[in-house]
Amino acid sequence: MSDTEFTQRYGTDRFTASVITNRLHYVVEHMSTGFLREAFSPIIRDWYDFACTISGPPEQDYPMSVVSNSLVVFLGTMGDAVRNTVIEYGPENLRPGDVLIGNDPYRTGTHVNDVLFIYPVFRDDTIVSFVNIRAHQLDMGGTVPGGFSGTKNNKYEEGLTIPPVLLYRQGEPVRSTFSLIFDNSRFGDILLPDFKSIYQQLHLGARLIGENIDRYGSGAFLGTLQYAVDTSAERMREAIGRIPDGDYVGTGLVDADGLDETEEFRIKVTLIKRGENIEAELSGTSRQARTSINASMLDSKTAVGVAITMLLAPETPFTSGTWRNIDMACPPGSLLNCMPPEGASMMFWEITTTLVTAVFDALNPVLGERAVAGDYGSLNLHNATGVLDDGTPWATAAQCGGEHGPWGATSDGDGDSYTVLFMLNNLDPATEAIEHDVPVVLLRKEAATDTAGAGFHRGGAATLRDSLWLTDASAYSSPFRTKIPSGLGANGGDTGRLGAVWIFPAETANIRERGKLIPHSPEVYADTVPVGGMLDARTKELDPDGRYFYFASQPSWDTKAGAMFRYLTNGGGGWGTPFERDPERVLRDVRDGYVSVEGAARDYGVVVLGDPENDPEGITVDTAATRSLRA
Amino acid sequence: MPPFARPQEPTVSLVKTPVEGTCPRCGADDLRRYPVNSEGGWFEVVKCQSCLHSVSRERWHLLGSLQLLSDTI
Repeated sequence: MSDTEFTQRYGTDRFTASVITNRLHYVVEHMSTGFLREAFSPIIRDWYDFACTISGPPEQDYPMSVVSNSLVVFLGTMGDAVRNTVIEYGPENLRPGDVLIGNDPYRTGTHVNDVLFIYPVFRDDTIVSFVNIRAHQLDMGGTVPGGFSGTKNNKYEEGLTIPPVLLYRQGEPVRSTFSLIFDNSRFGDILLPDFKSIYQQLHLGARLIGENIDRYGSGAFLGTLQYAVDTSAERMREAIGRIPDGDYVGTGLVDADGLDETEEFRIKVTLIKRGENIEAELSGTSRQARTSINASMLDSKTAVGVAITMLLAPETPFTSGTWRNIDMACPPGSLLNCMPPEGASMMFWEITTTLVTAVFDALNPVLGERAVAGDYGSLNLHNATGVLDDGTPWATAAQCGGEHGPWGATSDGDGDSYTVLFMLNNLDPATEAIEHDVPVVLLRKEAATDTAGAGFHRGGAATLRDSLWLTDASAYSSPFRTKIPSGLGANGGDTGRLGAVWIFPAETANIRERGKLIPHSPEVYADTVPVGGMLDARTKELDPDGRYFYFASQPSWDTKAGAMFRYLTNGGGGWGTPFERDPERVLRDVRDGYVSVEGAARDYGVVVLGDPENDPEGITVDTAATRSLRA
Repeated sequence: MPPFARPQEPTVSLVKTPVEGTCPRCGADDLRRYPVNSEGGWFEVVKCQSCLHSVSRERWHLLGSLQLLSDTI
């Protein structure tokens, strides 16, 4: 495209369009910083469970042009969510100062806790864009405090559904809407100040957009909104075009839903690739689950967009243009396109994370060195409630389980350990903040030895996390993917190991008397209560060929003060041939505890001499023995 | 909203209805009509199953298969 053609199409020159795009990125990051600083809710403050975006006006078909660096499951759905919400409400009914909201998963994706706030930006009585925030609210009613549960049977148990409705009308709060939400939420006193902060961040975003229009003109601003999505679309189109035509099939497995363990849930994706286009055909996937582990079409669309971006064009800005050359084809009533009222979606990300794995499974064989290994695959949520000695109730959500784990390796290097799911991109709550708010001692969160998929580049190590509960507690635990490794190997790398969850009852844990941590070794599990995972039925140690222990086999996991939960996440997959890894890198892994001496020999063909536990700097590689082992 | 019954079969597949004609791009005679979701939301497409060329691409229901009772007001 010549400079003249560019200016004709976008109303400005290339340089100015790039500058405005960067300035709009500043807008959403500035909004995010403000909200993070002011939020009262721990899910915002400690988890970063929100996102900010800018969308174009109705005349442009609501392109989502700019997104904040935040929660991926929001960024992927907000383009369609804004369009659907505004169209249903009617853009002609919006006025300056209005805030339009909605949270229906079937209209906007994700789950009912995630409320979407839309602020139309006017110029000369015309909508020129929308600034948007989606933020997880601590509670929206429903059968479970906080909402997180895979056991809800239908949308009515999920919580309050909000259709497109005004929260503010021309700058004035709509009391009935506030009351509707607060009268259904257990934590309205936390939601209220956060709503006020969201309102101010929307104002800030709109003001900054206005300043950009004042400076560059409406034409340049509107052209840039289109330029931003066209940039994404062009890069994705070129990246898709570079892989060979074919039908690529990938699968993934979710162990069970929250009703019983009689039904497994399988995801199948066929990526039909022709020229510059991909059709993601999801036929062959399980029907929607009986409880709240389903995903909406928008969530599945997000997962495919994320996976293809990561595999083919990771530098591409994430906008609505990401999907220009991708068609999602999925029947209603599927696990990946659930329908109300039975298709509840509270734990949707567990399904879409599995879809990411399936896309990796499909494309990795054809990508060769550009393949990416799989991550830990499940958030392994731990939610618990109890009462302090003085009668004060306490609750925790997504703070003390296996929420953080490893990524897989890539051609660039080893996979990170203790990070976030591909599909999320959130913060790790600070241990000090958790222990301040909840009667728990986080005894351990560390990399587990010999859990990472071996490879020329090693996968990230599984997270081993021990939490000691100081009062009686009632907990929900959600390890959804313990039967089949989620940490797929790539380009000849090995898969990561499977994880599991155990309870050490107070008398077994006996932490105070023991005076030290409980090791992660086969002999320590016999007297535990297995929560989830593939374990030996007698010894309760990890055994991929053992018995499946079902995470929802009890209505809740009730423990006495002094009990300890142990979460072991899945390991990340390795990349490349393990026996080609530099022995010095293996030696460093042994020194750092990622790999044992035995694992070095078994998985990498590297013979390490010495005692890494007591003399880590004194260990060496037996070069001759290694050469012999690798021969 | 009208209830949507959980499918009876363990897995589900998208119905792609055959359409008469040949693909103007590749000449194949395997055209099918079905809904897809892409940039811009839901579309009902007639696509060549051989080369993925969209012979037609019409806007479909805003919310796909979801029907709102409010739409009948």
